[in-house]
Amino acid sequence: MSVPILKLGDVLIASIQLEQTDAELLALRDRLTGQVGDARAQGVIIDVSALDVMDSFATRTLRAIAYSSRLRGAHTVVVGISPEVAFSMVQLGLELGAVSTALDLDDALAQIEEHRRSEHRRA
Amino acid sequence: MANDLVSEADNAVAREMGLLSEQAIERRLEAVGLESDDLARIARAREPILSHIEEYTAAFFDYLGELDEAREFMRNRDAVEQARRLKLQHLVAMVGGQYGSEYAQQRIKLGRLYSRAGLEMRLFLGAFHDLLSRMGSTLLANATAGGEAFEDFMSLNKVAFFDIGIIVDVMVFERERVISRQQEAIRELTTPVLQIRDRLLMLPIIGTIDTHRARMLTEGLLHAIRANRAKVVVMDVTGVSAVDTKVANHLLQTVAASRLMGATVIVTGLSAEVSQTLVNLGVDLAGLQTIGDLQGGIEEAERLIGYQVSRVEQRIPSPSLSSQA
Repeated sequence: MSVPILKLGDVLIASIQLEQTDAELLALRDRLTGQVGDARAQGVIIDVSALDVMDSFATRTLRAIAYSSRLRGAHTVVVGISPEVAFSMVQLGLELGAVSTALDLDDALAQIEEHRRSEHRRA
Repeated sequence: MANDLVSEADNAVAREMGLLSEQAIERRLEAVGLESDDLARIARAREPILSHIEEYTAAFFDYLGELDEAREFMRNRDAVEQARRLKLQHLVAMVGGQYGSEYAQQRIKLGRLYSRAGLEMRLFLGAFHDLLSRMGSTLLANATAGGEAFEDFMSLNKVAFFDIGIIVDVMVFERERVISRQQEAIRELTTPVLQIRDRLLMLPIIGTIDTHRARMLTEGLLHAIRANRAKVVVMDVTGVSAVDTKVANHLLQTVAASRLMGATVIVTGLSAEVSQTLVNLGVDLAGLQTIGDLQGGIEEAERLIGYQVSRVEQRIPSPSLSSQA
């Protein structure tokens, strides 16, 4: 099942509800980066709270989404990494690099708002 | 006499130590080299030994009574009384020729009694050695001719060492059990995660950190981050005296995992020694936000969350004034 992408103002929200195959993750990446341009999105939120496992491929794909969205002008926040997933990711040495993380949707939206304000100041 | 029966607790210890199976006992007997020849010699030594067992038992406890270090044990009258009865049974069984699981269980019972009553192993060994030499003297005195008595005694010695093996194992096992119970208690005590403001947590770390504790600490923190919706965590390591590469990596892992959950970690209270060790070890602390002391850390955390703490007025009356009023 492909992941639905919701639009809230100028923020795109993708909530991953089921374990995704590698191919499905790649499809999500392509759709998201495509829609960032179409919707002129300022922010992208990827919700992973339903996931029990995060492997190296998923981590890399999330990083790729964040970096390419960045290049297209949107700030990406990964939301809802559970304590167990966080712990096993650290144990496996998986890193999200410069990708922002937040506890829940509220925080993520606040972060994007913050990001938008700092962009404005710079402009 | 219900006291002298092998209790459920004794059985549990025997099970945990893997001492209940016939094979285990068989292996132990093999280890001391007990063979059928020995059984025949022990049977021959039986009569003279049995006629002296009361005397041996008394000597065993007299020996302990004369040792200062055993005074604590000797003062415990109930334990000594029970030990006396068990010792008597032991000596009867020792020349009985039956060294199966029942015999082993009696040894376990006695070993547990000693360790509960706090009899040190070396004291037990001393007294038991004295007892054995008395047995040896009896056998040699009863000897008719030739070197037979010595061989009989050596066979008996094998059983004695079989006994010592079990009793020492039980005493060590009991001691280890106490230690592991204490470790468990310490572990439960030492990972509090405290909320000091809305969405601001504090994690004071005290004592040494090993892999197990680091894991518990990280798990506790991650769950607390979720439960309290924490944005910032102040991790205070003032109470950590020694740090090595492993510990540093544990701390880094905790920080990285918290970040994945959307919380920022501020490390405070790295002492001069600890920070120098970290630099000398070449641990990469680039990803770590550190602030000198706990106060500074909390102030920085408040700033990050958006609190502005300011003093309104002095609310506490000064002590000298209040005493006059």
